[in-house]
Amino acid sequence: MTVVLQQGINGVVLGSLYVLVALGLTLIYGVLVQINFAHADIVTLGAFSAYFFMHGVGGGYIPSIAVALVVGGVLGWLMNAAIFAPLQRKGSELLPLIATIGVSVMMENAMLAWFGPIPYAFESPYSNEVIRLGGTFITVQNVLIIAVSALTIAFLYGFMKFTFLGKALRAVSQDRETAGLMGINPDQLVMLTFVIASALAGMAGAMLGPVLVLTPFAGTSVIVKAFAIVIIGGFGNVEGTILAGLLVGLIESYTTQYLGPGMIDIVVFALLLLMLAVRPTGLIAEKREENV
Amino acid sequence: MIMRLRFRRLAAELMAAGLLVAAAAGARADDKVVKIGALLPMSGPGSYFGAQDKQGIELALEQINKAGVNGAKFEVQYEDSGCSPLPATQAAKRLLDQYKPDVVIGEECSDATLAIMPLMEQAKVPLINAGSSSIKVTEPGNPWTFRIMPNEVMQGVDIATNAYKRLNAKNAVLLYENTNAGIGNAKVFGDTFTKLGGKILADIGFGRDVNDFTSIATRIAGLGPVDVIPTYTLEGQGLKITQALAQAAVTKGGGGQAIQLGTIWLPFGFEQKAGKAALGYIRIVQFDPTDQRPAVRDFIAAFKAKYNQDPTHLHAHAYDQITLIADVVKRGAKDAQSIRDGLAATRNFSGVTGSAEFDKTNQNTKMDTVHYMETLPDLSWKALKWN
Repeated sequence: MTVVLQQGINGVVLGSLYVLVALGLTLIYGVLVQINFAHADIVTLGAFSAYFFMHGVGGGYIPSIAVALVVGGVLGWLMNAAIFAPLQRKGSELLPLIATIGVSVMMENAMLAWFGPIPYAFESPYSNEVIRLGGTFITVQNVLIIAVSALTIAFLYGFMKFTFLGKALRAVSQDRETAGLMGINPDQLVMLTFVIASALAGMAGAMLGPVLVLTPFAGTSVIVKAFAIVIIGGFGNVEGTILAGLLVGLIESYTTQYLGPGMIDIVVFALLLLMLAVRPTGLIAEKREENV
Repeated sequence: MIMRLRFRRLAAELMAAGLLVAAAAGARADDKVVKIGALLPMSGPGSYFGAQDKQGIELALEQINKAGVNGAKFEVQYEDSGCSPLPATQAAKRLLDQYKPDVVIGEECSDATLAIMPLMEQAKVPLINAGSSSIKVTEPGNPWTFRIMPNEVMQGVDIATNAYKRLNAKNAVLLYENTNAGIGNAKVFGDTFTKLGGKILADIGFGRDVNDFTSIATRIAGLGPVDVIPTYTLEGQGLKITQALAQAAVTKGGGGQAIQLGTIWLPFGFEQKAGKAALGYIRIVQFDPTDQRPAVRDFIAAFKAKYNQDPTHLHAHAYDQITLIADVVKRGAKDAQSIRDGLAATRNFSGVTGSAEFDKTNQNTKMDTVHYMETLPDLSWKALKWN
């Protein structure tokens, strides 16, 4: 029973990490109907920003999360201003998609050149603090991951539902041209989407850094799962992404316990194929106009 | 008159051309170059191998090329073989087609090495390997592949026997990545340990994409007291496994009783990165930095002088690969075929990792490259002198 409970805790932690990464992906898809392949590399850069803020500047771990968030946001702004917005203005959906692949390869290799290939030991002060309760355990770092993930979800929900900008974003996701006619500047809101999604990716990097192996390929190792989560949850559907993230986390933990870790990808991607075949709209039925 | 002038001019041009050709030929004769191809992982999760190997190679080149060997200079062309079969095959083809090496060193990862071996055999270019432990690299007997490190059977039998007899371990959990080397290493340990009377409580293989090892540690914690956990994985996943096992209070580093065991997969500095979780970890390293042989002391001093850091076993075995080639060239080898023959005839080559002498499968038979180290509470090593 303890093992079952412990694997449940492990699954929620892993799921929370996946949700943090997948939220930005789903936000961009929801508003722009665009897949951002460079998302993984923003996660990685966020992790490195936090690492160097701690080990280079001597800053604390909590402030380093804010630093990663800002770095991610600034990078998102730059990427949209320099690459995606100009390409989108040309009216092609394919060009920005290919550009995201180009940016991803470029960033990965730049990080490889700057940071080297050898794994970094990114230890948060909370990584080795373990809370033990009735045979179960959780590190303080993992408690922090769940808390940050929950707060992020709450912030995103509140922003989308109750603020003018959030409502404007939803309007753009429903009908970009009509939203423009209503006085909303779609270009600015696309920029805002990019900034928020990339800031979330940067922050996810800071949370993931102490959990994953920090190399220039760190983000790539989770992005495939994040894409799967976005598909299982329903393209661009925030609620579906949250649900799918937690589901995949729990599936991974229980698969490790009862089937072996070698079966994880088989089970997760079998679920993905099943969803595509049986319920292609995702866990929560797609309503394009209400996705974000 | 005009005809005579034209003839003189033509003769002068032919003489000049002849002199140039002769000079060029003379230059080639004087500047013999031994062309070495290096297939190393420079990207991906195994890229720390390539980065460190390159440093060891560059140091050896610098030393050898000061005087040359039998009038020959050494030159290395690096290709990123990515620690997996597809990029390794592509890199090997590029190297063979464009650079045309006399000898190739690499790869580190068994799957990649197994993929490039047929290409080397087809091209009749000798391959020297220092990092791939899979038995398949030498067991069928490939005349063009030489391995200077002990294979998975030599290491696995040795470490399993030591676990049972010296550590009194009666049960074990096998943890390994799902690659030829991971599966092979774990199988040899499991078979040897079981034959001796030990029990395998769980056999856990995982992909290189697994990020969080808490679930695996939880599963192991649920098995009850575990004596040893032989672990076969690259550095990044290795770090997270060690930390997760400590957090789950399975290993000594987390207050448990289990001892993690490892072979040469992990680089030096692993313990410092893993922190207290690495306490009690016992592993085979291919290079003993406390070795007092003059060659080892000189290597360490030269390495520190060049890079301002201590060498690891990866630096050392890359260095040995080049010095072994130098040894073969010194014995008269000039081209791919004679380097192959020279390698096969090697007797008691003494490198900084240990010595080398090949059997009929071109496997180094010497075990003095195996050094057991235990991680102490201050994260330093204690040489166990089990061999």
